[in-house]
Amino acid sequence: MNNKNEIDSKLVSSYNKRKKRKVLGAVGRNLGLTLYAVFALFPLLWMVLCSFKPDTEMYTTVFRFHPTTANYSAVLIGTDYFKAFYQNFVVSAFAVLITIVAGVPVAYALARYQFKSKESVAFTILSFKFAPEILVCLPVFLIFQKIGLYDTYFGLIWVYQLVTMPLLIWVLRGYFEDISVEIEQAAQLDGYKWYEIFLKTLVPLVKPGLVSVGLLAFIFAWNDFTFPLILSGSNIQTITITSLRYLASDTVHYGQVAVASTIAVLPEVIGCLFIQKHLVRGLSFGAVKG
Amino acid sequence: MAQIELEHITKTYGDKTALDDISLCVRDNEFFVLFGPAGAGKTTLLKTIAGIEFPQKGLVRIDGKIVNHVEPLNRNISMVFENYALYPQKTVYDNIASPLRSRLHRESEEDVQKAVVKVAKMMSIEQLLDRRPGELSNGQRQRVALGRCLVRTPNVYLMDEPLAHLDAKLRHFMRSELKEMQSAFNTTTIYVTHDYTEAMSLADRVAVLNHGRFEQTGTAHEMFYLPSNEFVAKLFGEPEINLFPAELTAEGGSVRLKAFDGEVTLTPCADVVPELEKGAKKLDVGIRGNDIGFSFQQEGRDWIRGTVYANEPIGNKVVMTVEALGTKIRLVAPNNTKAELDQEVYLRFNEKNFIYFDYETQKFIVRSDMDRYLRS
Amino acid sequence: MRKKLFHKSVDNGFAVKNLSFSCNDGEFIGILGPSGCGKSTTLRMVAGLEKITDGDVYINDVRINDLLPKDRNIGLAFEDYALYPPLSVYDNLAFNMRAKKIGEQEIKKSIDYVAPLLRVDDLLKEKPTALSGGQKQRVNIARAIVRRPGLLLLDEPLSHLDGKMRQTLRQEIKRLHHEIKCTTIIVTHDQMEAMSLADRIVIMKDGELQQMGTPLEVYDDPANVFVAGFIGEPPMNLLPSTILRTEGRFLFSFEGSDVRIEVPQRYASIVRDGMSVILGVRPVDVLIADDSAASTAVPVAVYEDLGDERHISVRIGKSLLNLITEDDVYYQQGQIIRLLFHAERTHLFDPKTGERIRA
Repeated sequence: MNNKNEIDSKLVSSYNKRKKRKVLGAVGRNLGLTLYAVFALFPLLWMVLCSFKPDTEMYTTVFRFHPTTANYSAVLIGTDYFKAFYQNFVVSAFAVLITIVAGVPVAYALARYQFKSKESVAFTILSFKFAPEILVCLPVFLIFQKIGLYDTYFGLIWVYQLVTMPLLIWVLRGYFEDISVEIEQAAQLDGYKWYEIFLKTLVPLVKPGLVSVGLLAFIFAWNDFTFPLILSGSNIQTITITSLRYLASDTVHYGQVAVASTIAVLPEVIGCLFIQKHLVRGLSFGAVKG
Repeated sequence: MAQIELEHITKTYGDKTALDDISLCVRDNEFFVLFGPAGAGKTTLLKTIAGIEFPQKGLVRIDGKIVNHVEPLNRNISMVFENYALYPQKTVYDNIASPLRSRLHRESEEDVQKAVVKVAKMMSIEQLLDRRPGELSNGQRQRVALGRCLVRTPNVYLMDEPLAHLDAKLRHFMRSELKEMQSAFNTTTIYVTHDYTEAMSLADRVAVLNHGRFEQTGTAHEMFYLPSNEFVAKLFGEPEINLFPAELTAEGGSVRLKAFDGEVTLTPCADVVPELEKGAKKLDVGIRGNDIGFSFQQEGRDWIRGTVYANEPIGNKVVMTVEALGTKIRLVAPNNTKAELDQEVYLRFNEKNFIYFDYETQKFIVRSDMDRYLRS
Repeated sequence: MRKKLFHKSVDNGFAVKNLSFSCNDGEFIGILGPSGCGKSTTLRMVAGLEKITDGDVYINDVRINDLLPKDRNIGLAFEDYALYPPLSVYDNLAFNMRAKKIGEQEIKKSIDYVAPLLRVDDLLKEKPTALSGGQKQRVNIARAIVRRPGLLLLDEPLSHLDGKMRQTLRQEIKRLHHEIKCTTIIVTHDQMEAMSLADRIVIMKDGELQQMGTPLEVYDDPANVFVAGFIGEPPMNLLPSTILRTEGRFLFSFEGSDVRIEVPQRYASIVRDGMSVILGVRPVDVLIADDSAASTAVPVAVYEDLGDERHISVRIGKSLLNLITEDDVYYQQGQIIRLLFHAERTHLFDPKTGERIRA
């Protein structure tokens, strides 16, 4: 084999080629990422800016304006905005709580036990997420009217399970499957009862997944628009539909809408910032299985 | 301390039979080894005794009492799992203390501490008590798992391949340590392994399991020298025993063995001939690597000619694989043996150590000087 | 004589520190060491997958530091097989050659030559998912050598295989090398593998070269305590000891024990009273003696009958001294036996540096 010559001639040219390619690659990548970041964050930025803009300047250029807090006072002072905030919080928090209490055992059962049509059950649960909310709304509305759950906390919390439960079960099932069954068997032999094993050994092991999927479920519940729109009236006013209020008969008070949205988004953003690390790890970890 | 009995245990998973009509009696205080290849059913057997698996048929007795319906936590059993099954979020101290703190045992914290420290010293892990399992090496984790098992004195210790995931050096070391500790155990122990040196070293008695059935039960010594069939013979010994077919013939008044398509004639020892003549003419002859002599010159007419297929120094000896007469023969050579691949080499078998099996049934027939091996 | 020479190299973060060695054409070199010692990094530097911070790699006297892996004319077979699942074995083997626009005729010739060497000729039409671990590894290696490279690099090829498969494949790799005489470098943490396959072994620890030599050299003549304890199964006994001088003789004494063992004559000129040494002797070189003045009496701590061998351990202070014998002996725990060390094969090491003290 003409070894020596082959290597020789390629030596210099390949070395230079590599260097050039590397530098260009790095610059290009950074540029691309910066552009994308701007693209993704712009709507949020615009919303916050709008909340400080008086209505008269709404349609002018984005950045040159006279900031005002008039929108903020209109929305927050003397209205029941905070009542809506509170109600949204109650509904979302309780929804997530019930999801956790009911969903964790389901996830465990799907991970550990063998029973007939197990996969069909699992898929059915997941399929609840597929159904567009608007389709389901009307039948549910009729049923709720009949059984008196229209415009109640209980009704909304119950319906929210459609949004929160499948996600939690699916993610946590993966987590439970990753725990080797021998740990439970070891705990059995050590002398612990089944509920002690579940609470003291298993739940701590799925905590990262639980926290991250719990937060995600909370976000989905918090943001939900369709269900509160149709299924609640004057009693329960979640934040999402409160924004509709600012679409007045004559004009749209964009500034006030922006304020409502900005304040509404705050809990989620703060929650995410606190649990950032766990969020990525938590979701991808469980997702590897299944 | 307790006697463990299994009566006609059958365990199936779907249509797969893991244990097939197993009956076993482990005496009080015995160190009993379950030995066999992967998938033989050893772990299933252990879990059935522990109560983690339920047999479809058969009875499990501890000290004569039937315990089929008794929960694992009430059987008073301690187990080391093959993959250790340590609690990841607890410290080493809490892992070892765990059995003593459960509702069942409820020891005072003082007693717990004394017991944990004692066991930790025995396992040489006292400096690791504050760490978590994730921070430990495999060898350290294995010792924690053993510690958690030994911290109590239950009816029986169940150990599932506790040394399997350690590298060779650590395995040898831990095996010697276990052997030294054995006398201090004072508890019935059932130990699972697929490493024959562990079985031979630690066991009072061994049972060889294959596809859910026992092939042979007895001392390890018996398994090595008087294996009940070819399967057992192949499991014990490194390198694996050589087996080749041979036919019993009479040649001029004396009994001979014709092997390798008649190419080679061997002479069986006088004391085995009566037994051999009783049965079929077709035999399988087994000979271990240590009982084969070799030379690079033809030392005598009855030496078998072959070529070196592989020559592997494996530590304190050399395993030479010789291709001869259409088959590969493994023999043990001194440590500094050098050989070129495909070099000519001549072999001589030591007939005194032939083990004879029936060709059709693969069952043991006889070997020379059997009385000597029936001691112990 | 084509000579492939290696590097004086230092990697950032000191994965490898100042490593130099060379190997000859057609030689089978084993790089051996515990995990984390830098052996894989070394191999990857030779392959071009890892940057060399300092130093040079030469193949046939050509400096190849800056060449891309694909231009170095090497065959790589790494631990994780990475066979392309949708392609048949034949197509997997042909893949690289097709990428280089080699003609189909040539490709077929190469594959037909290499496949039988690794016994994958009857697997050519199969897909990787249908193959066992051993078969996949054989295809992996076949793929590495199908282009008849100048250099074959194997990174822990047997680590995922179980006992029997590992033995079989080990023998086949050796025979392959015997057949095609390609310069080969294998990386492993299993000393048995290195000892049985390599013509010469490079032993590494913490990124540094410990010793390079033939299997027999590193076994009989270890350069330091690490090599002595690493090579050999079961490992060499290494006992810390203090030299005592009594009645004109030198004796090894051990902490926590009254056992005294005579120092071999050839060390007489280099030891002193009170000197600290590490005594190294292999289990097979500890002999059971009859009553003789030169032997030492010790009680048996562990006795194991392993069929073809007996393993016996005696306690000397804090350590266990292991010995192996093929003799058909039987001892109870606590029974006194007499031991003798094989004088020629007893080694001394400096406790501070670990280096061997030569007579």
